[in-house]
Amino acid sequence: MEQEKKLTEQESLHLITMMINKAKESYHDTGIGAIMWGAVIAICSLVRLSEVQFEYKLPFDIYLLTLVAIIPQILLSIREKKERKVKSYDDPYLDYIWLGFGICIFLLINIINNVFGEWGSWANEYKNITGRSTSFRFSEYVAPLFLMLYGLPTFITGAACKFKPMLWGGIFCWICCIVAVYTSIKIDLLLTAASAILAWLVPGVIMEKEYRLYKKEQAHLNV
Amino acid sequence: MFKDLDPILHSQLRLAVMSLLISVKEAEFTFLKENTNATAGNLSVQIQKLKEVGYIEVIKQFKDNYPQTICKITSIGIKAFEEYVKNLQAYLTQK
Repeated sequence: MEQEKKLTEQESLHLITMMINKAKESYHDTGIGAIMWGAVIAICSLVRLSEVQFEYKLPFDIYLLTLVAIIPQILLSIREKKERKVKSYDDPYLDYIWLGFGICIFLLINIINNVFGEWGSWANEYKNITGRSTSFRFSEYVAPLFLMLYGLPTFITGAACKFKPMLWGGIFCWICCIVAVYTSIKIDLLLTAASAILAWLVPGVIMEKEYRLYKKEQAHLNV
Repeated sequence: MFKDLDPILHSQLRLAVMSLLISVKEAEFTFLKENTNATAGNLSVQIQKLKEVGYIEVIKQFKDNYPQTICKITSIGIKAFEEYVKNLQAYLTQK
C-alpha cells in the first residue's frame, strides 16, 4: 500500500469499509476451549447416566473431571492471549462473564451440597415418623439449575460475537432447563449432555474450522 | 460549501490504519502490517505522523524478550475519523 496516494471520495469509503471488515474478521477464537468444555460436560453427564442406568458406581465422582479441565483451560487462555495480535472492546467483558460463570457454578455446587445434607436428614426424619419415604427428590431439580446457568454466558457470547451457533446453543440450554424440571434424572442427564454438545462442542468445532481457515488465508497472504 | 477533507486522513495508508484501529481496542504493529500489506518502513513513518497529530497512541514494550509495538486510537483520533467520514458522505451525496 502506498503511503501518500491521494484517494477519491469513493475510494476512501471503499477502503474504510474494507479495513473495518478486515478488523472484524480478525476476531477468531480457536474454539479449543469450547470443544474441551463441551466434551467434558457431555462425558460427565453420560457417564453419570450410565451409573444410574446400570446401577454401578465409579470409585470417584466423574464430575471431578471438570476440576481437572480447569488446568488446560488456564493454559489455553494464557496462550491465546499471547498469540492475539488485536484486542476487541468486547474481550474483557466476555472474559469477566465466563469467569463469573465459573464462580457461579462453584457457588451453586456448594449450595446444592448443603441442601442435600439438610434434605437427607429431613427425609430420614420424615421416614422415621411416617414410615414411608418422601416422593420429593431434590436431585431431580439440580440439572435445571445448571442448565439455566449454562445458557447465560453462552447466549451473551453468541450475541456479542454475532455467532449464531452459540446464541442458539444458549437458547437450547434454557429450553432444556424448562423441560428438565418435569423429567426424570436420566432424561435430565441426557438433556445436559445434549446442551453441552449443542452449546459448546458444536460451536467450538465451527469456530476451530473458521480459525484454521483464517490462519490459512493469512499465511497465503503473507507469502 | 464543503469542508476540506482532513489531509492527514486523506491518504491511503493512514486511512487504512485508522479504519483498522477504529474497530478494535488496540492492535499490534504486525497486525496493521499484515492487513494493510504495507512495508514496515512505510507503516512506521505513517504511524509516526498519526501519533504526532495525536490521532493514535503508540505503546512500545517487550513481549517474550521481543520488542512489541501496540497502537491505539485516541479520542481525538475518533473525532477526526468521524468528521472525515461525515465530510466524505456529504461529498458523495452531493455528487
